[in-house]
Amino acid sequence: MNDKIEYDNQIVRMFVICILLWGVVAMLMGIIVAFQMIFPSWNFHPWLSFGRLRPIHTNGIIFGFTGSAIFATIYYSVPRLLKTPLWSSSMARVHFWLYNLTIVLAALSLMAGYTQSKEYAELEWPIDILVVVWWLLLAINFFMTMKNRTEKHIYVAVWFFVATIITVAVLYLVNNLAIPVGLTKSYSIYSGVVDANIHWWYGHNAVAFFLTTPLLAMMYYYLPKHTRLPIFSHRISIVHFWSLIFIYIWAGPHHLLYSPTPNWLQTVGMLFSLMLIAPSWGGMLNGFLTLTQAKEKIKTDATLKFILVSLTFYGMSTLEGPIMAIREVNSLSHFTDWTIAHVHAGGLGWVHGICAAAVYYLVPRLWNTNLHSEKLAETHFWVSTVGILLYVVSMWVSGVAEGLMWRAVDASGSLQYPSWVEIVNELFPYRLVRALGGVLFLSGFVIMVVNIIKTTKTAGSGFNPVDLREGSKA
Amino acid sequence: MSSWYEKLSHKVEDNAFKLSVWSAIAVLVGGLVTLPPLFLQGTVQKIDSVKPYNALELAGRDVYQEEGCFYCHSQMVRPFKWETDRWDPTRQYGDTPYSKAGESVYDHPFLWGSKRIGPDLAHEAALRGSAAWQVSHLKNPRETSPGSIMPAYPHLFETDNMLDTEVIKARMSALRILGVPYTDQDIQNADSLAKNKTKGDALVSYLLKLGKDTMQ
Ligand code: HEC
Ligand code: HEM
Ligand code: HEM
Repeated sequence: MNDKIEYDNQIVRMFVICILLWGVVAMLMGIIVAFQMIFPSWNFHPWLSFGRLRPIHTNGIIFGFTGSAIFATIYYSVPRLLKTPLWSSSMARVHFWLYNLTIVLAALSLMAGYTQSKEYAELEWPIDILVVVWWLLLAINFFMTMKNRTEKHIYVAVWFFVATIITVAVLYLVNNLAIPVGLTKSYSIYSGVVDANIHWWYGHNAVAFFLTTPLLAMMYYYLPKHTRLPIFSHRISIVHFWSLIFIYIWAGPHHLLYSPTPNWLQTVGMLFSLMLIAPSWGGMLNGFLTLTQAKEKIKTDATLKFILVSLTFYGMSTLEGPIMAIREVNSLSHFTDWTIAHVHAGGLGWVHGICAAAVYYLVPRLWNTNLHSEKLAETHFWVSTVGILLYVVSMWVSGVAEGLMWRAVDASGSLQYPSWVEIVNELFPYRLVRALGGVLFLSGFVIMVVNIIKTTKTAGSGFNPVDLREGSKA
Repeated sequence: MSSWYEKLSHKVEDNAFKLSVWSAIAVLVGGLVTLPPLFLQGTVQKIDSVKPYNALELAGRDVYQEEGCFYCHSQMVRPFKWETDRWDPTRQYGDTPYSKAGESVYDHPFLWGSKRIGPDLAHEAALRGSAAWQVSHLKNPRETSPGSIMPAYPHLFETDNMLDTEVIKARMSALRILGVPYTDQDIQNADSLAKNKTKGDALVSYLLKLGKDTMQ
């Protein structure tokens, strides 16, 4: 039925390679940063010090690794879901090259210390402009493809991409408004409390609209495609889509609890965070219930395993997040490694899980061959899962221990740990375990890279999809 | 099978234009309700003693940003006894020794931070007012604080990291456009304050400005 339509697979292949490349680079940065937090001698050079590499890790993993997976999926799934070729293949190529230029410039400029110093919005204004240009190219291509569609119904994955493309544009433009002084320096037009609020309105929604909605779109595409079973409930997807995108925007102030931010705003942030449990779990349940229809295959299929673990961590971090948004809990967790545990339960568990499933789904189809080794995919799964657990559990312990030591008082009511270095030293073992967990996690990722490289060596030999319905009872 | 909202949602979701417009509306509401009130007068209570950064302090603030010190250090003391005991042990910040909105009105951008790998620096002027201590700490944190995991920044004090006064003046003029009340004289002072100074010197003067204006 789809034979008549010419799909552009080359652009998807190009982005898939970037997932692997930027994934390795950004995680390597994460590992270096993790070791710098226990061995300061790892600050080898002024350009490679903790303060310079940390933003390369975060920007690289969010915009490089996750971004590539999002764009690969958009260019693969949207034309297929809407039954029309991509509106402009050449525009997608311009997007691809400008995007990669951005990542390279970002890494170099952050190493050189050029930064707006707002988390996840560090890039200086010339790079921001570049980002706006290619985001617009993506948007035009996306909406024109939608306009040309021959399939009347717009599937839920596409809605999530619509919300992503529109919202990220608005957030990015508003938060990055700055007055330039030369090519490499600018000052935010906002100051103090206003800047903090605009920034965390952006920062929280970067999580929402870069690490959540497009990943949900990916889940809604790959999961039914891979199992060849329909999504469990269309109704859930309607309700949780609209409530998720509506509620998310209000929750930013949970990053500013107990700060000089107006109290009413903090309360709004906390309440909307609590409300977020419902739509988040709606999405998770829809995924889980779809997955249970193919549960026999989970045992033998690494892609499904990744989706299973991914949804589990999604459910976990979207329950943990709202709890951390409760003022009393936040008084303990804020500023500590607990936040880092939460981030990486989301990042290593949810984001990486869906992205790995995307790679394992796409590569055999794009290179028209079977995956080199299912066994290596299994190994990747187990190694990375152990890595996640080491990382997240050690950071939970470290975070809670840290928070408790900060507030501990002795019998006379004075601080029990007045020396900061003493606290830091207590955290050493946990942070060591975290770093090792990271090494393990990256090893798993490298196993996938090797598996994919070997797979592409047999490109064109024909792909036989496994029919996952065989095992199901239905 | 279809309830009223499913009919309604099909109307929206099968129409690319309506879907996009309604998504945009759904996501814009939250921002429009929560952000604009911040710009209204009165949200931020002014503190008269808080003055803008002078030329050298501002240059130091830029270095603080370049080096990403804010990934490890917060500048926001929360209103808890255990925080005010730690960061105002000698009670130099009055009855309410935690961070106020008025303290960061000249901070483009804000540098409150989100992670405390090192201690809070909002009251650094009161806690470690000695420039000599700050210099030796920055050059080698493990000399003043054995066991510290803070990176060393000796290069900031070397001659290839001298300040450029013209650049500082341009930056101050830009901030003036944004509403920081610099006089022409303030900007001219860059020539004397920052002359023959290194980035490290500037950073130290910035650290000694933190909390200086609200100290009692
Ligand atoms: C890897 C995280 C890290 C980075 C990056 C970092 N610091 Fe630190 N800093 C620490 C730790 C940990 C301490 C506590 C131990 C000590 O005194 O060295 C500390 C202590 C300090 C202190 C002493 C605070 C006090 O009152 O005891 C100052 C001042 C300071 N840092 C300034 C800076 C500046 C300026 C930068 C950027 C050039 C910076 N730090 C970068 C971790 C860091
Ligand atoms: C219902 C959903 C969620 C809520 C309510 C929520 C809430 C929170 C809260 C309260 C914090 C701590 C802020 C602080 O004390 O500084 C936080 C931090 C963070 N969360 Fe979530 N979270 C949610 C889901 C997620 C998911 C799925 C991810 C995906 C990766 C994620 C990524 C992050 C990141 C990156 C930070 C750190 C921000 C920073 O300080 O730099 N969150 N979140
Ligand atoms: C090999 C794997 C990884 C390692 C070793 C690693 C390590 C680290 C370290 C050490 C930090 C700094 C923590 C701190 O400041 O205390 C960090 C921050 C961060 N990492 Fe990772 N990371 C890894 C993978 C990921 C992935 C896959 C994501 C995906 C979303 C991610 C997202 C982030 C974010 C958003 C932050 C900033 C958190 C904040 O500001 O609160 N990381 N990481």
